[in-house]
Amino acid sequence: MSFFAGYGPLAELALLNMVLAFSQYIVLRAGVFSLGSAAFAAVGAYAAAILATRYGVPPALCMVIALVAGGFFGAIVAVPLARLRGVFQALATLALVQIVLSLALNWTSLTDGALGINSIPKAVHITEAAIAVVVVAYFLHVIGMSGIGRGFDIIREDETVAVSLGYDVRKHHMIAFVLSGAIAGLGGAMHAFSSYSITPNEFGFHMVVMLLAMVVLGGRVSIFGPIVGALILTGLPELLRGFQDYRSIMQGALLMLSITFLPRGIVDTVLGRLRHRSLSRGASAKDRDGVTI
Amino acid sequence: MSMLTLHEVGRDFGGLPAVDSLSMAAEAGKITGLIGPNGAGKTTVVNMIAGLLKLSRGRVELDGQDVSTMEAQHLSHMGVSRTFQNIRLIKEASVLENVLAGFHRHETTSTLSSLLGLPSAFRERRALLRRSMDLLERFDMADLADWPAASLSYGHQRRIEMMRALATEPRLLLLDEPVAGMNDAEAYSLAEIFRDVAAQGVAILLIEHNMRFVRRLCDHVCVLASGRLISQGAAETVVNDPRVIEAYLGS
Repeated sequence: MSFFAGYGPLAELALLNMVLAFSQYIVLRAGVFSLGSAAFAAVGAYAAAILATRYGVPPALCMVIALVAGGFFGAIVAVPLARLRGVFQALATLALVQIVLSLALNWTSLTDGALGINSIPKAVHITEAAIAVVVVAYFLHVIGMSGIGRGFDIIREDETVAVSLGYDVRKHHMIAFVLSGAIAGLGGAMHAFSSYSITPNEFGFHMVVMLLAMVVLGGRVSIFGPIVGALILTGLPELLRGFQDYRSIMQGALLMLSITFLPRGIVDTVLGRLRHRSLSRGASAKDRDGVTI
Repeated sequence: MSMLTLHEVGRDFGGLPAVDSLSMAAEAGKITGLIGPNGAGKTTVVNMIAGLLKLSRGRVELDGQDVSTMEAQHLSHMGVSRTFQNIRLIKEASVLENVLAGFHRHETTSTLSSLLGLPSAFRERRALLRRSMDLLERFDMADLADWPAASLSYGHQRRIEMMRALATEPRLLLLDEPVAGMNDAEAYSLAEIFRDVAAQGVAILLIEHNMRFVRRLCDHVCVLASGRLISQGAAETVVNDPRVIEAYLGS
């Protein structure tokens, strides 16, 4: 038991990272190259932390407000950015992260600047984090199965085909931005309630790269992709504790290796192989039946 | 009245007309062929009708309604459907999922119930899956329903494109070289399906290189060369037209 007790905080961090990775996952699934999840997470985290520490709002309500605020911010951002594509979208959303970051640093009356917000009550433990992961994963799964998920898939694969089949690309990109914002808003708030304090720099470039790496490494189609990605990239620094100084290098190297050799990510590659194997087995069984009859 | 009418339609690329003063029609319940040598502008015509390319001149009418400036997405909801010359599928998704995507026009679940996973969304998915399976049966591909689209042969992938186009239940179906790369047996089995679809009152515009296939299938043939209509009429008359022979073989 002491083994698990020792790894409790790590597991909690991994679960919280999964929520944030889901935010990155849903935009990529819809073919939106947004790197804005870190900005949405900052909005959620600061909204929750300010409400809890200054106005004594109960944590549960803070998290709901953070979720709504993140989604609302996502919707506002989507108006100008949903029309962009590819690398332009990536750059614009990266600029958004910079804007939110400098607001958090310089709007001292609201955010306490570089000092960040401290003595946030500890309201999120491993149980709450696990519940959040299950609930968000369930909703993303349901959405993935619905007509909206089909729209996401076909828009990501080929926009021309999507419009030819009557899909409204703009609407689907808006939905993806709102979902991404809401999930990251919740994830940011949970992070604030888990770690006692938040500072602006947590929501910077490092988080952008980390979330992207989690989804790319884990996989972009299956809902288990971001889960596995977050698990590996949260656990890896612990396994490599001896190489603490080289942590970023290891992380970068892993990302490059996975893009080169597993471009679809771990989960999607494995699921694809399993599916192919079971289908081939079914097909050859059928052939045999055909021969014997 | 014709399902599809083109009046003096033209499209320029960089000042040069790719298609010019093209007038033609496609009737409901008939298969109209559009043939011509490479670079004649056939795909340009399809892209203009489907709303993916804006017209430089002229007018397109669908069942008497002017749709010249309408976007692809809205034309799809009005019953225009198409296949692509270069196959365009969701490669890693199963055959069934690919066909399912074609039913978008008939989805009635609201965005909110889809997002919340209300029972209506699941009911609709089940109903659409059943209709997709019916299409797969019709194209003799039910056994392959769960295979990823990209793992199948070229001929099968073309069939998936066609099923997806038919899933929208179009009034006007644009087929851009649907049997390219297929052998005659495969092509003729599809020809039967095209005839069935047309018999249900759909107007089909078929773009094709394979002259034998066109002669066998099309009620009416239009020949395009360098962006202009050079001949039209019954298949047999058209293929013996000296202008058509000249366009194909050179003078």
